[in-house]
Amino acid sequence: MEKLNVYAAKLVPKNENFGQGHRACQGCAEALAVRLAGKALGKSVITVSATGCMEVVSTPFPYTSWNVPWIHVAFENAAAVASGVESGLKALMRKGRMPQRKIFVLALAGDGGTSDIGVQAISGALERGHDFLYICTDNEAYMNTGIQRSSATPWGASTTTSPAGKVIPGQATWKKNMAAIAAAHDIPYVATACPSYPFDLMEKVKKGARVHGPAYIHVLAVCPTGWRSAPDLSIRLGRLAVETGIFPLYEVIDGKYKISIDLPKLRPVEDYFRLQGRFRHLTKDMIEKIQERVTREYEKLKMQERMTGGE
Amino acid sequence: MIEFTIDGVGVEGEEGSNVLPVALENGFEIPHLCYHDEVSPYGACRLCLVEVERGGRRRMTASCTYPVQEGIQVFTDTEKVRKARRMIIELLLARCPDRETLQELASQMGIEKPRFELREEECILCGLCERVCREVVGANAISFFSRGHKREMGPPFRDPKVCIACGACVYVCPVDCIKMEETKEERTIVRWERTLPMKKCKTCGQSFAPWFQLEYIKEKVKLPKDFLDVCPDCRG
Repeated sequence: MEKLNVYAAKLVPKNENFGQGHRACQGCAEALAVRLAGKALGKSVITVSATGCMEVVSTPFPYTSWNVPWIHVAFENAAAVASGVESGLKALMRKGRMPQRKIFVLALAGDGGTSDIGVQAISGALERGHDFLYICTDNEAYMNTGIQRSSATPWGASTTTSPAGKVIPGQATWKKNMAAIAAAHDIPYVATACPSYPFDLMEKVKKGARVHGPAYIHVLAVCPTGWRSAPDLSIRLGRLAVETGIFPLYEVIDGKYKISIDLPKLRPVEDYFRLQGRFRHLTKDMIEKIQERVTREYEKLKMQERMTGGE
Repeated sequence: MIEFTIDGVGVEGEEGSNVLPVALENGFEIPHLCYHDEVSPYGACRLCLVEVERGGRRRMTASCTYPVQEGIQVFTDTEKVRKARRMIIELLLARCPDRETLQELASQMGIEKPRFELREEECILCGLCERVCREVVGANAISFFSRGHKREMGPPFRDPKVCIACGACVYVCPVDCIKMEETKEERTIVRWERTLPMKKCKTCGQSFAPWFQLEYIKEKVKLPKDFLDVCPDCRG
């Protein structure tokens, strides 16, 4: 899908469901991801948004950027409320109080709302098998409250609660693999995406919404403010994250792994780190350590693809 | 702005626009297959049928080709409309039984299996790919040919010599019957049987687009000769 970029770009819907005028920072890839997802889903969708950047920037009272029904809920329960919305719609349609038609339910949360605070709600919703789509826009820390570390912060990244200094080299734990956790629930559709690959992202959102049952999409959203990178490099950083193998794009359809953007040869992770201030304290040894793990994880993913026969 | 009503709700549409885009913009759900914002409406699939009441006369028409008029009343979900749509979907599904989009629409309308004889077609002849190829890409590589029940969509004389393999038709096809395959060496649009060799980027060596397509773009946009020698990633 990604190779269609010349003329297909003109055929993407012009209507914005996530409108202009929101207060996201310059170069925010999360806003871009949400906008693309909005285009892919169309008008008949109910969005449930957890607390996080996207809630803060899109709905400062009394304004809103959303052209679709939108509910703000607490940090932890986007998935729980989405399951309630889905069940409510089902009941109303069954009782004939509203016409039978397809209404997508979208739960939207950041990495904190998904992998830290909301993990039991999402695990429950995935396990109960509600027909909804969960999009996690992962900017790898609690950005809107001031760049505190989350469980999705990668090893070595400097944040305000894991500052790099003489004692610790930034974040001391590895990034929690939330997509793998979602896939372990044996749900029909799990995918990772990045707004630097817009067609791929839209295609995955469409697929995830159409699937019967829960779908989970993990989107890497570059955050220039928190990553200490230049705002004009957001798209390139997203591409580098994919090309270096740090954030591989793949789908898990009914348990079958399929790598979306297959790379014969990974770029060195240093290319990705060089552009970000949060990694600038890394020494050669640390980069080597990360490189080793990235290569191993990528090999593991490839092996999973071969073993499940999703090729 | 022209004022009229859809299902009793007052809406406004720009002069010269048609009923379907105005309805979709205002959140009314009308199923459609052959309509796309970017190209002219064609009215091929007939799925967007609505009832329009004008001057006391009520009739059924395709909303994608019906221009908005002052004071008309549009009904998108009457019994008559639902019945007609069900019939259309049933006929389309009988023509192309294994298309997922059609299966999904049919199951939403409560059709399990069409009562007509099943055929093994893939294309629903909505003509959207042809309009996109003509109006958006400008390549004019495909068109309808033959008539009546033998009607088909494809390159003229089955010779796809002007197709640039851009994949716009692949992207836009409502029933996903046009497929694209790509290797490092060449790209194939399977349905039109068009295979073109790929160009490699001078800097990174990755193949990024077919030669023929890049030549076409260069000529059309009047780009310098060596502008498309490197891929968009390396140009950055």
